[in-house]
Amino acid sequence: MGPLLKLIDVRKCYSSGPKCDIFPLAGVSFELLQCERVILLGKSGSGKSTFLNIVGGMDSPTQGQVFFDGSEITRMSPVDLAHYRRREVGFIFQSFNLFPTLTVGENVTLPLDLLGIRNYAKAHEILSAVGLDGYWRKFPETLSGGEQQRVAIARALVKRPRLILADEPTGNLDQETGNGILKLIDEICNESEASLIMVTHSADALWLAPKHYRLKSGILIEDNYVN
Amino acid sequence: MTTQTLLRFNFKYYRRHTLLALLCLLGISLGVGIVVAVELINDSALASFQSSVDFLSGRATHSIISTFGRIDESGFKNLWANPKVKAASPLIDVIANTLETDSESIRFLGVDPLLDSQFRSWIPPLEDRQDMAEFLRGDPPSAFVSQDLMKSYKLKKGDWLTALDAGLEKKIRILGALPEGVEGGLGENLVVMDISSAQEVFGRVGRLDRIDLIIEEPVSSAIPDLPPGLKVTDANSRKSTLTAMLYSFQLNLAAMSLIALFVGVFLIYNFSMFSVLSRRQDMSLLLTLGCDRWSLLAAFMIESLILGALGSLIGLIFGFSIASYSIGKVSSTISQLYFQVNALHVELSARIIADGLTVGFLATLIGVTLPALEVAVTPPVLGLKRQSIEDRTNSLKGYLFLIGAAFFIFSILSAWASRRSIFWGFVSAFGMTTAFALFTPGLLSPFTYYLGIVFKKFSNGLEGFLAARNIGASLSRTSIAVAALAVALSMTIGVDTMIHSFRTSVASWLEEVLTGDLYISPDTTKWDHPLPTALIDKMANDPSVDSVERYATYEVYLYDRPVKLRVIQSEVLGDKARYRFIEGDEKKAWGDMRKGGIFISESLGFKFKLKLGDYLTLNSPEGPRDFLIVAVTRDYSSDQGAIQIDRDFYKKIWKDDRVQSIALFLKPGVSQEEVRKSVSREFKGLERTVVSNHEMRERVLGIFDKTFAPTSTLKGVSLLVALLGVATAMMAILLERSREIRVLGYLGLTSKEIGKMNIYQGLIMGFASFLIASVCGLLLTYIIVYAINYRSFGWSIDISLNNRIFVEALGLTLVACFVSSLYPTFKLIRTASASTIKEE
Repeated sequence: MGPLLKLIDVRKCYSSGPKCDIFPLAGVSFELLQCERVILLGKSGSGKSTFLNIVGGMDSPTQGQVFFDGSEITRMSPVDLAHYRRREVGFIFQSFNLFPTLTVGENVTLPLDLLGIRNYAKAHEILSAVGLDGYWRKFPETLSGGEQQRVAIARALVKRPRLILADEPTGNLDQETGNGILKLIDEICNESEASLIMVTHSADALWLAPKHYRLKSGILIEDNYVN
Repeated sequence: MTTQTLLRFNFKYYRRHTLLALLCLLGISLGVGIVVAVELINDSALASFQSSVDFLSGRATHSIISTFGRIDESGFKNLWANPKVKAASPLIDVIANTLETDSESIRFLGVDPLLDSQFRSWIPPLEDRQDMAEFLRGDPPSAFVSQDLMKSYKLKKGDWLTALDAGLEKKIRILGALPEGVEGGLGENLVVMDISSAQEVFGRVGRLDRIDLIIEEPVSSAIPDLPPGLKVTDANSRKSTLTAMLYSFQLNLAAMSLIALFVGVFLIYNFSMFSVLSRRQDMSLLLTLGCDRWSLLAAFMIESLILGALGSLIGLIFGFSIASYSIGKVSSTISQLYFQVNALHVELSARIIADGLTVGFLATLIGVTLPALEVAVTPPVLGLKRQSIEDRTNSLKGYLFLIGAAFFIFSILSAWASRRSIFWGFVSAFGMTTAFALFTPGLLSPFTYYLGIVFKKFSNGLEGFLAARNIGASLSRTSIAVAALAVALSMTIGVDTMIHSFRTSVASWLEEVLTGDLYISPDTTKWDHPLPTALIDKMANDPSVDSVERYATYEVYLYDRPVKLRVIQSEVLGDKARYRFIEGDEKKAWGDMRKGGIFISESLGFKFKLKLGDYLTLNSPEGPRDFLIVAVTRDYSSDQGAIQIDRDFYKKIWKDDRVQSIALFLKPGVSQEEVRKSVSREFKGLERTVVSNHEMRERVLGIFDKTFAPTSTLKGVSLLVALLGVATAMMAILLERSREIRVLGYLGLTSKEIGKMNIYQGLIMGFASFLIASVCGLLLTYIIVYAINYRSFGWSIDISLNNRIFVEALGLTLVACFVSSLYPTFKLIRTASASTIKEE
């Protein structure tokens, strides 16, 4: 069985003029297997978010190829990319990014609605799994930060994506709540057999994945090797 | 931090958001523009009207007019011999069409050149004695024509003008042009003839229309023995009498002006408020950085003054342009309905400039200051959160609803109070629209919530659901835009439904009173051109004609106010017409009319507080005479009020047998075309005055439609302004919710779906506005019909709903909202597809 995700010499450059002057990714090659988890480390501005966005189909590389389950997503049309995100990718953000206008239930069922699934049993199940039974009709503004992140996790995982991309999921939370969230991600990933790429600065989160990578000057290096 | 620094900070914002700055300026200038345009049109109409009267009066201090028709020329000799009368000039004053001027109405003035020289300087120096002789001799009739008219129709000395007198062609030779500047307030359409030629041409031998006087003593001592039925008026009272005739027209414009003012102020407020609200977080940040709230407030107030000044200046130019564009329509309507005026000129007076600036400045100041004050007094930590303004709006919506309910009750009470003064009618309309504007946030919130649920249940996509929720989530922006659009739409629906009801009532009234098969009716009937007796005799004896109804209408004075006296044949109409009697018994009334009773129109009864069984006094050649009112009928023919009298009875008292138009009731099977041809064979030119029943009704309804024509221009502009509000609100949502929109992209929504969501947002706002406006508009119709129209004119109107108005309003709103949402959608798609979320 081949890798779920494969990046071949992916480069991304930003330019203010005709020449490229910023290289967040300067030739990244990477593979992620089914059910594999990796943690991505790096300083601010090192290109971690760019990496996630390219993998998630939200951004396109300047050069190189990205394959998901054998399909090259870098060749996909914007509509196909949207469908790829809709089916295969679950994003978890640092700042939760819940819709304040929707109830907890509506936020969680949104990915199902997008897939045309009107059976919300899974949504109830996952809300219960994240410990938010009885929160269905509440609005995000009435929840604490930890609760909001739980809702965001439920929203990301309700459709059973094969790839979870988490960008500093505990960055806005205190240590205790953050640890709770990490445990939750661990449990749900185990249960759903999803692959995970998590960006973090927190040393407390390193246990979640056996493999650690670091982005430095646009190059992806296995962290154990760096150490 | 100084105010100066803050001001620089504020204007940097506008530099970065050029489009928003332009939209804001456009909103202010459109708001000011519509207010200024309406005022300009109103003022120009009045000024032209008054200068026409001034011009016609010349140096005359007084005029003698008839209170029942025309002046007998023989009485003039005594007047001329009266030493207390310094000067007197008899006049013939006729409005007629000519073939050479595309049936445009021309004023023909017949003057005595010698006597009139003390009043006016109209006659140019004659080039040779032959011209003078021809002018005075009147054989052929000759005239001087205003320079503009000569230029417009390429007329020259020696050409012929063919005046249509009751449809008959009368040739008049052009002797030359009037001196420059003579046109005065009348515009270009003026022809001056010798008085005897004018009497001859227009069938007025032995009669005068008016006598101008110069007297220095009090009228009672200068002319103590005025013959019965004549009246001396001074220039001012003539002006006020004529100006009163314009009342209904001005009322129409005044109503539009109020709408314009309301919508204009609302929109300026909306735009300026938006410009502040979109910087709410920046302002709170400035407060956090140590800026004091009063400096902040001062900076925003100064900004509002600068914006207000710029917007108002552009608005003045815009208003001037709309007025200049509409004035042609307005002048032709006034000429057709009330009084001959041509080529109204739009002039910006200091008062109008001041009004425009006041509206622009005040609305901008309030629009900017209120939200700035809200931020200044809000703890910065709350101000930094976008949600806090929505929370506040949400908590306020209940109170706003209650205040709206108070306005609603106030509006009902004002409508009731309008029986005392029309002012309360306008207050009621204003109160009702304010009430619904205040209801908007309270209605919009549950509406969008449940609409979202409906969308989710019954549609495949999520776009409708998300769009509905977004509107509810940005209530501070969307409710104002929806309220502004609802106000403009409700005015449109209200006024259109009133016009439709009015038109339907007029059409059914025409069906009741115009029952003849054919009419021989010159369209200059109101200018008093009698039909040839031979024609009337011929038609009366025509075997194909079952009966003929002879008709004439005159302006008479009732308690010093002009009203219409309509001379009808009761024995024909009693049988053929189906009058609607407001008071009086139909069977008895017609019999009573033959005995000398009169019918009065509903509007006359209302204005003069007259009812069935009362007597009214009219001047006749025999002196004042009382007439018993035997019926009050529905009659939309004149807002001045009308009296109907039997022809035989009128003839006996007024010794006048003139007929201005006739209705022909044909025998079964007779072809209308045949009758038309037979008229044309014997009376060349008169065939153009023969109209079928249908054409006659269409002619009247055509005039009706013209009266309300200026309304549509202003309505369109109000709607445009309101729609700009929708576009702005959507841009605001786009700015503030850009992060959420990006998240939608992460969740897998395509750019197209996000764009669709935004378009749905515009459409839902339009639909919500339409729903609110439908209810408010209907209530406004009742207020306009019962509290404004009836109180102004005394006309009762049957309210009739027209689905077309609602379908058109909805269609127009949805199309316009769709168009308004295109640019924000374009921006949105770019936002959604081009950017990612930065988390660190």
